[in-house]
Amino acid sequence: MGLLHASILNVLPNVQLAAMCEKSSVTRRLWKKVFREIQIVDNLEKLSDLDLDAVYVTTPIPSHFFIAKTLYTRHLTHNLFVEKTLASNYDEAKELCGLTRRFGGANMVGYLRRFTVTFRKAKDLLSEDYAGDATGFTGYAYSSDFYGMNRGSKTLVSRGGVLRDLGCHVIDLAIWFFGDLKVDSANVESVADGCSGDVWHFAVRKPGGLKGDFKASWCMNGYRMPEIALQISCSKGIIEVSDDVVKLQLNNGQLSTWHRHDLNDTSFFWLGGPEYFREDDYFIKSVRENLHAEPDFDMASKVDRLIDEVQFKVDKISD
Amino acid sequence: MLLVGDNPFHNISHLSQDRARARGNATKQPECAADLVMLSLENGANGFMFSVSDTTLSILREIREREAIEHLSLYAIVPYAYEYVRVATQVGGVTGLIAKVAKEITMSRSAGTIAMGLGAVIRSNPLSLMKTYLSYEISRVKSSAGKKANLISLMLHEVVTDMALALDLDWLFRSYIDFTLRRGLTPGFNTGNFTYFVDKFKTWNLDLDKIAIAAPFNKIGFQMIPSKIACEKTLDSLLQPIVIAISILAAGYLKPTEAIGYIAALPNIKGVAIGVSRESHARETFRLFHKELNG
Repeated sequence: MGLLHASILNVLPNVQLAAMCEKSSVTRRLWKKVFREIQIVDNLEKLSDLDLDAVYVTTPIPSHFFIAKTLYTRHLTHNLFVEKTLASNYDEAKELCGLTRRFGGANMVGYLRRFTVTFRKAKDLLSEDYAGDATGFTGYAYSSDFYGMNRGSKTLVSRGGVLRDLGCHVIDLAIWFFGDLKVDSANVESVADGCSGDVWHFAVRKPGGLKGDFKASWCMNGYRMPEIALQISCSKGIIEVSDDVVKLQLNNGQLSTWHRHDLNDTSFFWLGGPEYFREDDYFIKSVRENLHAEPDFDMASKVDRLIDEVQFKVDKISD
Repeated sequence: MLLVGDNPFHNISHLSQDRARARGNATKQPECAADLVMLSLENGANGFMFSVSDTTLSILREIREREAIEHLSLYAIVPYAYEYVRVATQVGGVTGLIAKVAKEITMSRSAGTIAMGLGAVIRSNPLSLMKTYLSYEISRVKSSAGKKANLISLMLHEVVTDMALALDLDWLFRSYIDFTLRRGLTPGFNTGNFTYFVDKFKTWNLDLDKIAIAAPFNKIGFQMIPSKIACEKTLDSLLQPIVIAISILAAGYLKPTEAIGYIAALPNIKGVAIGVSRESHARETFRLFHKELNG
């Protein structure tokens, strides 16, 4: 992810990629020969002389807290983009939110799906009342990343588990669409055909009545690319949305379908998909123009809180 | 040039993953995929554009066994980015990935490649590493497709091309072009940023006439970055037909009969690549494109 963001930033007008911080000495040696005009450092402190306008944190989730805290407290930058999730748990996330209040600047967490045209269309359909009031939803986050692999991969831990690595996207979308949610129940099912992980299943509710169900797994067959999807029941019909398509089925039988093709899914530069460019362009604009960026740390910490709640419920059942 | 694309053989649909799942795994079977390539050949196709993977190498072996390999112009895309990202995910990042690829190169038993790779690692030399890797991929294609194979171009995958473009790595492009030309291949680039690519090559004084570019072109402007008009204008500015149009059906959004008129009217198109997942598709699509583009 670091190289992807670095590449896009280098394309943005009036943005100069200044430095990369890399722990591995082998990778650092190689990067020094590839990125000849960029400083490659092994330690955050070495960024201090560079007068950086903004920093992107794209390391594994367990290291986000330490790095973000160091960047703030050592005044290395006050404009910070952190890849999802903000931290490894809600306590860490809260502390980082405190630092943003103390130091100011633009802060944002990389919940990419907010920049995907299909999810934006679904958000518009909800906000503009095309489908009426939402009464319930189901959502999933699936991938085949570990499908067919044996149990016990170290990678699963370094990525923060499936909820933080993948499930966080669908949780963030639900919070974006519906506001704060509380966990009602949670459980973990083992996958029958053997895999390094499991299927997490949890139910949520919102004060006022809306209820939702989530599933997350990176052991599903047929999900070559990670897929996030929601089905939202509303008073006037049903909205189905995924990375590829949005459907609105009204109670009167009228069906509208929008693929990415229909939603002006374009950008100035294409790398990994136009949403990556939109995300970086938006954050940099926020830094430049001193605007509030979303999702900021406060908003993103709600995902960390919900994941903690899910894990707490599951641990309680295991005990 | 009418190329069979390999997306259906990897079970990829850029319209929706649902569609790919509904298709099932039949097209991933080498025999079935080879049937589709052969049928496409009978109906006007004369090439195969594919990402170098175990799946496509098995298809090449199957076509070779059917003694049809010499009738195909091969355009090989490297690296098969999806597989490398998946491996990196499973083994814990880039370091694990490098170790796995190094092991595979060693297992390939190509003494020259191993020696080149060892030296590159010791010196942390990115160009030598790139050449080692490319040599390894070329040897994989040649050993699967056989001596009669007609490997025309080695194409750099769009993730690598576009990252290198964004990071202004002009020396990497120069070195890649030099390496592929020396190996008797056309240097190819798959890009999602056609206009940006051509502009950069002009700025860097790189010779566009020696290369092949695979980029999206379709009637509705899907994935034509930054815009359909800009891509058409850039295409028009080229001095020679060096472009292989991909995504011409906009990932299945358009029917071949809707797509053909637009593609046939474009200047400087060297060829088109089309993925087919059913026998009827192969027959009808290639027959139509062969007639309209060559007729």
